[in-house]
Amino acid sequence: MNASTTDRFVIPIGPQHPALKEPGHFEFTVEGETVIDATVRLGYAHRGIEKGAEGRNWTQSLYLLERICGICSHIHSTAYVIGVEQMAEVEVPGRAQAIREVIAELERIHSHMLWLGVAAHDAGFDSLFMYTWRDRETVMDLLETISGNRVHYSANILGGVKFDLTDEAAAAILKGIDFLEERTRHYREVVSQDAFFLQRTRNVGTMTREEALQLGVVGPTARASGVARDVRVDAPYIAYNEFPAQIQLLGAGDLEARFLVRIDEMLDCYRLIRELLAGMPAGELTAKRMPRKLKPGEVISRVEAPRGELFYYIRSTGGEQPDRVKVRTPTLCNMGSVLTQTVGHNLADVPMILVGIDPCFSCNDRAVSVRRAGRAEGQAWSWADLRRYGINYYRRQLNLDTDHRPTDLLTY
Amino acid sequence: MALDLFNLLFFPAGLGLIGAGLLYQWADRKLLARFQNRLGPRWFQPFADAMKLLGKEEISPQGSSPVLFAFLPMLALAGALTAALYVPLFGLAPVFSFPGDLIVTLYLMSLLTMCIGLAGAQTRDRFSLAGALRVFTQMFAYEAPFILALLTPSVALMLAGQPSSWQISELATAAANAPVSHLLTLPITFVVALVGLMGKLELPPFDAPEAETEIVAGALTEYSGRGLALFSLARAVELVVGLTLVTALYLGGVGSGPLAAVLFTLKTIGLLVVIVVLQTLLARLRIDQTVNLWWRIGSVLVLAQWLLLILYRVLR
Repeated sequence: MNASTTDRFVIPIGPQHPALKEPGHFEFTVEGETVIDATVRLGYAHRGIEKGAEGRNWTQSLYLLERICGICSHIHSTAYVIGVEQMAEVEVPGRAQAIREVIAELERIHSHMLWLGVAAHDAGFDSLFMYTWRDRETVMDLLETISGNRVHYSANILGGVKFDLTDEAAAAILKGIDFLEERTRHYREVVSQDAFFLQRTRNVGTMTREEALQLGVVGPTARASGVARDVRVDAPYIAYNEFPAQIQLLGAGDLEARFLVRIDEMLDCYRLIRELLAGMPAGELTAKRMPRKLKPGEVISRVEAPRGELFYYIRSTGGEQPDRVKVRTPTLCNMGSVLTQTVGHNLADVPMILVGIDPCFSCNDRAVSVRRAGRAEGQAWSWADLRRYGINYYRRQLNLDTDHRPTDLLTY
Repeated sequence: MALDLFNLLFFPAGLGLIGAGLLYQWADRKLLARFQNRLGPRWFQPFADAMKLLGKEEISPQGSSPVLFAFLPMLALAGALTAALYVPLFGLAPVFSFPGDLIVTLYLMSLLTMCIGLAGAQTRDRFSLAGALRVFTQMFAYEAPFILALLTPSVALMLAGQPSSWQISELATAAANAPVSHLLTLPITFVVALVGLMGKLELPPFDAPEAETEIVAGALTEYSGRGLALFSLARAVELVVGLTLVTALYLGGVGSGPLAAVLFTLKTIGLLVVIVVLQTLLARLRIDQTVNLWWRIGSVLVLAQWLLLILYRVLR
C-alpha cells in the first residue's frame, strides 16, 4: 500500500464511491493502470429482511419482501406468492397470472432501461444515459397508470392480483411500448455501431461459456456468454406457459454482448406484452379462498428477475407466519465473475465490468452465521438478539467502548 | 499607464476575462444540457459556484506540502491569465505582443495542466495519484500534435514564401487577410487544433483524468474550497484563451472597430458549439486509447497536412 516504494497499489472502490449507487467495497490492486488482483466485501446494506419476515404473518411478509428491491419489487413478491400459493394448494385464475406477467415484463423493461443508462454513464457516455432515463419515464408512467405507484406496484396479493387491467390501461400500454420499441431499436443501433462506445465494450470483460458455467452466473450475464439459462423458459411459472418468452442468446461474452442481450430482451418484452394484451384471458382476479394458516411444509420457487434467477425457499410449520424465508438474489451469483474478469484489465474498464452484471447490492446482502463443526446445536436468534448483536458489532468497530453491557444497549 | 493597468486588471484581461470565461463555461454546460435533454444551469451558476468555493475553508490533506497545495492553484490561474495577455481577446489587439509570443502562450497554457498534475501527484490520495498519472500521460499524448497544429499557419505562410513569424497578432492579421480562408486550405490541422483544445481542457471524450466513475475527481480529489475555485477559474480562462487562439490563427477576424470584435467573439462561440456537439456525441476514451488516438492518428494527420503543403508548393 506504500505508493512511494512500489508502483503497485490498491485502489479502493467503495463503500462510498461515485461509480457505486449502493454501498459495496472493492479493492483493486493495480500496477500502473492494470488490475492484477481484486477482492470484494459485501454486506453494508444488510437489513435483516429475512428475519423480519419470520415475525410477520403470510400477508404482511409479502409487503416486506416486496421492498427488498426498488427496481424489481414485483418479481420478489411474485417469487414469494407463487411459493406460498403452491404450499396452500390454491389455484390462481388465469387472468391474474397474465396480469402478473404483464407487470413483470414492464418491470423488466424499466430495469433494463435504467441499467442501460447507468452503464452508459460509467462509460462516460452521458448523452445515452440522459436519453434512456427520459424514455424510462414512459414505462414508469405506464406502471403508475396501472397500479397507482411508480416503484412498489403492489400488484400481487396471495392468491391473485389486486387490480384489473382495464381497456384504457391496455391501450395506454400499447401506445407506450410502440414508442419504447422505436427508441430501443435506436439504442441497439447506438450500442452496436458507435465506434467510440464500442471501444469501451467490445472485447472488454470477456467471459467464455466454460467460465460462465464454472462461475455459475445467471441471467443476461450468462446469456451473453452463450449459456441458455432463463427460468421463464426452463421452468415456466405464472403465465409463461401460455405466453412463452423467447430466450435471447449471444456467444461473444463481452460487454457489448451484455448490452445487446438486454436490449434484445426488451424487444422480446414488447412482443410478449402485445401478445398478452391481445390474448388476455377473462375471469376472476383472485382465488376463491386463501387460507390464513398454511400446512407444514417447504417450497422452493424460482423466477427470472431482470438480473437473473431469483430463488426463494419458504418453510411453514403450520402457523400464520413463515418459519423461514431464504432469498438468494442473482447479484450474488454474478459477483464472482466481476472479480475474475477485472484481472488483467485496465482500471478504466473496472466500473464498466462491475456494472455489466447489473449489481444490486442491498438486495444481495445477507447475514450468514457459520456454525463450527464441533458444535452440534444451532443457535436460534430472536429479533432482539440480532439487534443487540448489530449494535455491539458497530460499537466494537468504532471503538466506542470496550466493555459493552447488552442490557443497556437495548434501551439505547 | 492608467490604460495599461485597466487593460491588465479589468478588460480585456483580468476580471473581464474571468467573467467571460465563466460565461463561456455556462454556455458549455447549458448547451450540453440542452443537447442531452436536460434543463441545465442558469446563467449565473458558474459565478455562484466560484463565489461559494472561494469563500469556503480550504482543507490541506495530511502528507502533502501545504505550501505547494496552496501555491499550485494560484500558479495555474496566473499562467492562464498571463497567456491571455498575448492573444487577441474578443478580437481586440493583444495587451502585449512580441515575436515568438505564440510559443510563450503555448507554454503558459500547459502550465495549468502541469499544475493540476503536480497537485495530484503531491498528495497521498490514491485517486489523485492515478489522476495525476493520467493527466501527464494525456498531456504527452495531445501536446505535440496540438502545438504542431497551431504552428501550421505560420509554416504555411513560410512555405508560401510570405513573411512569417511566430507572433500571434501578425499570424492573426495574415489569417484575416488570406485570400482563401485557412479553414479551406488547412482543414486537417484546424480539426486537430480544435480537438487538441478539448484534450487540453479535459473535456469529454478526453476526460479520463477526471473520470468520476473510476477515480472520483482525479488529480483534484483532495481539493476543496479556494484551491478548487482557482483551478476551475483557470480552466474557464483557458477555455477562452484556447478558443481565441484557434480562432485567431485559423479563422482570422482581427480588425478594427466594434464590428470586428463582435464577429470574432461570434466565431469563438461557434467553435464552442462545435466542441459541445463533440462532447455530446462521444463516449469517454480510456487513457491508452487517448494516447493511441493522438500518436497514431493526430500526429500523422498533422504531418500529412504539412506534406500536402510541401507538395503543393513544389508542384506549383
